[in-house]
Amino acid sequence: MVNFKKFALDNGLRVLVHEDRSTPLVALNLLYDVGSRDEDPSMTGLAHLFEHLMFGGSVNIPDYDLPLQMAGGENNAFTNNDFTNYYLTIPAENIETGFWLESDRMLELDFSQKNLDTQKNVVVEEFKQRYLNQPYGDALLQMRPLAYKIHPYRWSTIGMDTSHIENADLEQVKNFFFSHYAPNNAILALTGNITSNLALRLSKKWFGPIEKRYVKLRKLPAEPPQKEERRLTIEKDVPSTALYKVWHIGPRKSKDFYTLDLITDLLAGGESGRLNTKLVREKKIFSEINAYITSDIDPGLIIVQGKLMKGINIEYAEESVNEVIGSLQNSNGIKDEMEKVKNKFESASVFSNTSILNKAINLSFNELLGKPELINQEVDEYRKVTLEMVIEAIRRYFIPSNCSTIYYKSTRKDK
Amino acid sequence: MNRLKREQPPVFPVKRVRIPEAGSFELNNGIPVFLIEAGTEEIMRIEFTFKAGQIKEYLPLLSSTTNMMLSEGSQNYSSEELNRQLDFYGSFFNLSVDKDRAGIVLFILNKHIDKVLELSREILFRPVFPESELNSLMRKRLRWFMLNREKVQNLASDKFFESIFGINHPYGHQVIEKDFEKIIPAYLIDFHSKYYTPDNMAIIISGKLHKKTMELLNYYFGDVPVKKRYKEGREKLLKGEKKKRVHINKPGAVQSAIRIGSSTINKRHPDYTGLKILDSLLGGYFSSRLMKNIREDKGYTYGISSSVSSLDLKGYKVISTEVSKKNCQKTIDEIYNEIRVLQKVPVEKEEMAVVRNYISGEMIRMFDGPFALAESFKSAWEFGLDNSYYYSLAEKIKTIEPDEITELARTYYNIDELYEITAGTK
Repeated sequence: MVNFKKFALDNGLRVLVHEDRSTPLVALNLLYDVGSRDEDPSMTGLAHLFEHLMFGGSVNIPDYDLPLQMAGGENNAFTNNDFTNYYLTIPAENIETGFWLESDRMLELDFSQKNLDTQKNVVVEEFKQRYLNQPYGDALLQMRPLAYKIHPYRWSTIGMDTSHIENADLEQVKNFFFSHYAPNNAILALTGNITSNLALRLSKKWFGPIEKRYVKLRKLPAEPPQKEERRLTIEKDVPSTALYKVWHIGPRKSKDFYTLDLITDLLAGGESGRLNTKLVREKKIFSEINAYITSDIDPGLIIVQGKLMKGINIEYAEESVNEVIGSLQNSNGIKDEMEKVKNKFESASVFSNTSILNKAINLSFNELLGKPELINQEVDEYRKVTLEMVIEAIRRYFIPSNCSTIYYKSTRKDK
Repeated sequence: MNRLKREQPPVFPVKRVRIPEAGSFELNNGIPVFLIEAGTEEIMRIEFTFKAGQIKEYLPLLSSTTNMMLSEGSQNYSSEELNRQLDFYGSFFNLSVDKDRAGIVLFILNKHIDKVLELSREILFRPVFPESELNSLMRKRLRWFMLNREKVQNLASDKFFESIFGINHPYGHQVIEKDFEKIIPAYLIDFHSKYYTPDNMAIIISGKLHKKTMELLNYYFGDVPVKKRYKEGREKLLKGEKKKRVHINKPGAVQSAIRIGSSTINKRHPDYTGLKILDSLLGGYFSSRLMKNIREDKGYTYGISSSVSSLDLKGYKVISTEVSKKNCQKTIDEIYNEIRVLQKVPVEKEEMAVVRNYISGEMIRMFDGPFALAESFKSAWEFGLDNSYYYSLAEKIKTIEPDEITELARTYYNIDELYEITAGTK
């Protein structure tokens, strides 16, 4: 059980505190409600580039990392389609340094051309290292515009193209800051060796004086329902052919989310998932295969991806995947498998909540969804899923007209 | 309300880390068990560790394959049944093998300890290494291998270990495609019977412990028979290759991978703690010299780091990064440049203070919670060291002087002795 208290400051900043005396550390997590979905289609990758700029010094603090390290702290950040998240852990006696640092960069950044130029290079190298210089690294970058035609999920967080990052200028960056980085657009969570009184006092002291800012209301175009199946074939010099399939699902808060997440675990959770058992172990069609659900706030995707064994025909491989998914509707043994998957969710939740940092991130994300108490309720949500719900969801979502498929074919002779 | 002066709040020196002592006892057959009581949840981390790493193998892939095959079928359970049951009881397990050791780490809910220990005994001491499972594992591994050969990071790293430890030494030898055909069940059975034995192992448990835990351990593992210890042949000589600079051509690569370093002292050497601090200054944390220069100033890379690691026979240090081809040589020059500066110019007081406090904070994280505690315990214990190693590191962090850093940089970062491996387009 993660006990927590919630406050709101006058400037709109939401603060969540969970006290855990078993650690000498405090985790501070600051989530901004801005992600790559909020970008202009001609300027993609800006939210993530901005995350890098947040470490280039703020109005009163020329270097973010130095004083943090001086106080024994450590930090990092990540950006996704929906939000941007900054976190640090620090010995409890120095937590005020964390407040000082995070509030200063919410107040105002020290925008410099030099920092922008450097970080543009760093991000372009990140683009290459993670997506372009890895076999299959671009597969999901190509999947997005196939699955989404209108909604900004059609590009990924790193951006559509390196040129968007290269073209970013200081003016755009400043506008981005003032229209999205604001106390009333952020969630602060503190977990670990800190009392709620101290957390509230320090929040008021450091974040309280930052004025509310005008944040443009989010109005994103809804993705129209997909009417017919979509296919793309990519040919590249990769060691083996790979298959990618995605299906549209509802938003994160829809009631089907837990059912669908449970389905992906029946398919690919642990060694004993069905896809692994049937297609890797028994039939030896794939060398590896995985299935998962995106946790996107707007309507997301179920993704199945696998690498084929040598000499396997890709149409046959695809058919086998569909067959395994379909087989979940037969009740043979499925009750036990559902119990297994639910137990796994329970223990994953227990293990995840042994880390103060995970607790801080989970609390912030659940608050973003508008339901921080979910941190203690999700296991029950999974427990409530019935076989009927699984069957219903399979029939509703796993249909060809809702699916996009990529054949990522190896051009090698000896594939 | 007065206007807030946004000045840095007082920073308190990071408190000296408190490390709980591990308890210990022996099972009936002499298996040593180490116990670390920590955490608030009813969970446990149990590690079974064996001296059964690459150093023991007489054929490439033997140690890793033996390890990966442990959960592929036992006397009483098929592989499917083992995996299904472990999943069913909500446990997570990682089979792992490195250059010196191999074993399994289990994360379990206390309420299922009985069942999970029974399954662990099957996995560890009653595996049957079925041929069909072995064949499909080797086919899969060959696919992963081929995929990894596509990545410049792996090409450079493999070549690096081969160069610093020697082409024929188990620490350095590279796997080739043909090795995947040679492994048969008989080798695995042999390797398992020699090295997965009570006198070659230890159990490290951390989390919320109960009296029943010890009883169960004895029940499931206390009667595993102790065999006559396997007599090993003489160990192979550890000797770096002559060629110090190697480029591996990888046509079409968008970036080049760089590995610069050499073999060095390990944790048992008195200079090791000082070397760790030097390494942090050079490239061990976000504000390190290399990060500041190559990433934050020049923007050549997404990340650059240096690290010092300990193996049983030796340690090694390595600087790693991936950069665009056009910046590859410039990056290498800057790396040597930073080393030279550390050899010549004493580190300023302020920078010393930052690195001291940063590592002190790291040490607190290293001992925070049951999982971190167990890992830190193991990484001293496996070198025959105890908590005094960490206390001497803490002491060194407090007392090391800039002169000593300079001296260490001269002794351990002699540029002529460093290997320089690159992988990418010509």
